[in-house]
Amino acid sequence: MSNGLFILLCSGEHEKVQMAAMMASVAAVSERPVEVFVSMNALLAFANGLDPAERYHGGEFSELLRAKDAPDAISLLQRGKEFGDLKIWACSMALDVQGWEMSHLEKDLFDGPAGLTKFLSDAENGQLITL
Amino acid sequence: MVDQVLDAQGLVCPLPVLEAKKALAKMAAGATLKIIATDPAAKGDFEVFCRNTGHELLEASQDGPIYSFRIRRAP
Repeated sequence: MSNGLFILLCSGEHEKVQMAAMMASVAAVSERPVEVFVSMNALLAFANGLDPAERYHGGEFSELLRAKDAPDAISLLQRGKEFGDLKIWACSMALDVQGWEMSHLEKDLFDGPAGLTKFLSDAENGQLITL
Repeated sequence: MVDQVLDAQGLVCPLPVLEAKKALAKMAAGATLKIIATDPAAKGDFEVFCRNTGHELLEASQDGPIYSFRIRRAP
């Protein structure tokens, strides 16, 4: 059995959110357990009910992703959860600073709030990637 | 023999693998899925996908820009 993939997603840049979603979904459907910890600016990209134009902000590549109708990051993560072992956690500190409850986040995507201590501890025996 | 065909032409990474996973999830053990793709990364991706999931990669071929795969669903 392969070791888990742990993605620490802090950047709200579209390109990084997209890459995190791509890595997470592919690893999950390939039967590798995945956990994503969403914090800092990345949390803002997962606000409930946003239009993609409001949700994603990035550079040149972000515009290309939109122009070419690249698969939406939220949709990729939903597929990863549907067909694989993918857990997505909202940083409790970032929620608190933002003044948000879990209900402020995209519906049916997050498995709950979590802390960095537990996430890093769980990641000790896996592969940790930070974006 | 092929039980189902997945046309993944025009889909870019990671969609071919995600769509294949979705199709295989609905198939019976031992059934065969044929995938047609244009993503150049598909060959490497499907080799690893099958290795990790236990599905059997029966065939991987290329004809110009078109890649074809046959995967037998694991039990």
